[in-house]
Amino acid sequence: MTEDPPTIDVTRLAAEIAEEVRARRAAGDFPPGLERELDAMFARYAPAGTGDDFDDVLAAAETQSFIHADVPTGSRRAPLVLVKRVLRSAMAWYVRFLAQQVTAFAGSITRAVTLLARRVDTLETVAPTRVARSTPDPGGWAPTAVDAVAGVPGRVLHTESGAGAVVRALVDAGVDAYGVDPDEGAAVAAAREGLDVRVDDALAHLRRLPDASLGAVVLSGCIDELALGEVLAIAGRAAAAVAAGGTVVVLSAGPRAWAGATDPVAADLSPGRPLHAETWAHVLTTAGLAIERTLPLPAAAPPERLTPLPADVPGAEILNADLDRLSRAVFGAGGYALVARKPH
Amino acid sequence: MVAVHQVLPVLAPRDAIGNHTLRIREALRRAGVAGEIVAGEIVAGAGDGARTVRRTRPSRLAAAEPALWLYHASTGSPVAEWFADLPGPKAIDYHNITPAEIVGPWEPHVGVELRAGRRQLAELADVAGWALADSAYNRAELTGLGYRWTEVVPILLDAAELAGVPPDAALLTALEARKAAEGGADWLFVSRLLPHKGQHDLIKAFAAYRLAYDPAARLTLVGAAGSARYAEALADFVADLALDDAVAFTGSVSDAELAARYRVADVYTSASAHEGFGVPLVEAMAHGVPIVALASSAVPETVGTAGILLPSAEPAAFAAAVHRVTTDPALAAALTAAGRARLAELDAATTGRRLVDAVGRILAAAGLS
Repeated sequence: MTEDPPTIDVTRLAAEIAEEVRARRAAGDFPPGLERELDAMFARYAPAGTGDDFDDVLAAAETQSFIHADVPTGSRRAPLVLVKRVLRSAMAWYVRFLAQQVTAFAGSITRAVTLLARRVDTLETVAPTRVARSTPDPGGWAPTAVDAVAGVPGRVLHTESGAGAVVRALVDAGVDAYGVDPDEGAAVAAAREGLDVRVDDALAHLRRLPDASLGAVVLSGCIDELALGEVLAIAGRAAAAVAAGGTVVVLSAGPRAWAGATDPVAADLSPGRPLHAETWAHVLTTAGLAIERTLPLPAAAPPERLTPLPADVPGAEILNADLDRLSRAVFGAGGYALVARKPH
Repeated sequence: MVAVHQVLPVLAPRDAIGNHTLRIREALRRAGVAGEIVAGEIVAGAGDGARTVRRTRPSRLAAAEPALWLYHASTGSPVAEWFADLPGPKAIDYHNITPAEIVGPWEPHVGVELRAGRRQLAELADVAGWALADSAYNRAELTGLGYRWTEVVPILLDAAELAGVPPDAALLTALEARKAAEGGADWLFVSRLLPHKGQHDLIKAFAAYRLAYDPAARLTLVGAAGSARYAEALADFVADLALDDAVAFTGSVSDAELAARYRVADVYTSASAHEGFGVPLVEAMAHGVPIVALASSAVPETVGTAGILLPSAEPAAFAAAVHRVTTDPALAAALTAAGRARLAELDAATTGRRLVDAVGRILAAAGLS
């Protein structure tokens, strides 16, 4: 008979390990740039094509399209070296004939893909995938993010985190958080501040994460400029990356930011534009999340206002209330936070 | 009398699928079912009684007695096409096929082989009326491909045999002496050096562990280089981290040497991104070593409650989990006890019976019993 093993409270154990990591990070035992540095070190040895960079993959294909006809003849048993050399010489005419044809075929394919890539490049120049950072610094949205991820089961990722203002607020609130941002300068600045911010594209990073590996994902920045297919992809990957009970938080500048033309070039040339909260709610619900709440976000700068009437003007109280509503409608930031939770 | 003839691309010694195939033959023979093993390639030392595809006349075997053909699917191979053309009822035993996108960039020709394997697996759904799978994870893939009759039968292992191998005495003495002199925890991982086995992530986690907890810790990576390119990258990575003295690449080892490695291990660690079953995880349980593993693919199913399963291979979290196991004796004892309980479910007698029962049902459905 096998005795029943003692029961392990897996949930409590996971929480204790998460707390241990958080405390060690706070104490500096795990330096903020540790993961980024380890990833970068190993990436030096990984072959081109293990990442998502198209040019790297194409370069690898071109390198590998040459088929070597000189078969290696080494062997741990010395006599076999001679046998292999004889066989190689005897078969050279045959192997080279085949190798030349395969090389020619592979070369034609990579050439065709290269030409295709040029056409795609041209299209992307016409419709750039990213124009410029056009959404406001997310730092002012930090309190909303901190509140939205309270008590989630695991690490919190902020995409795109910029120099880490939201990540800083999360860490200061005791949350084990890290960020990704495509701007290397921002990531380095964040690391200098003791934050774990990695240089990465939001969607590419989410694609590499195992399912249910995070407590929460806070999406901001690029989400206001993505093409619709990318919106669906990022929502799907974010929903997959959070564990049951975890949250996905969308921090969006809102459609009015584009109409307000704070950055008209970006607004006109970006492949996508900020979505309405209702659209994000639909997308995240489709990805299997339950919408918890939608909140207005503070403006990046103090909003303009219509000048109120002096208090002694008859009817000023009523008129000023209407002017205030009108000011918010006309000049309000329109940014919002949408909090969605993954059901257990 | 009926027969079950097993077909596989390669029969190799010290290989999980090769051992499984031989054990199936033994289990079926004990149940009165004969059968041959037919392989595309037989590596020297892989056990007697097997024959190659080239030397097999299927019609002659079929004429001898009614037979079911059972194909072990684990990679792309011309043997799958040979199997598809065989006369008579057919079944497959699915051990999973590594996703080509992980291995392909490192070893493009292996990537092509793996993609071919996936294609062949889909095509065999129309040919094989029945399918066995090592795990529910593998079974789900089969169901998704349109296999109608599927059943989970874990890999046939003998836990007592795994734990009963006497360790290499000289090696064990040396390893214990080093541990006594240097202190520090011993991490162990057993698998061929291949990108999807995640040795690079394990090294990252180990580096974080040494940094935050235990500068004297050691990591032993047992297994031959499945990808020379990846093995070189790992060695360079270890050198860059200045961990040459702390990380050992042993290559392929004997059973006795492996037993010695398990004997000194404080924790079995796996950052593998893809396992169809994960035989070394069961070996670790048999040797009473607690497990910390990335909860990928079929790993959670195989480990059960015998290990700490992590949602990602983030180095800090991995290191913290290992630290917890190596410093909390009660937890380590609970994990090893859970491992023993899990072993009881996976022992050869139990899984052998499940296999014989499953094959019996297939034979009955095929009208061969």
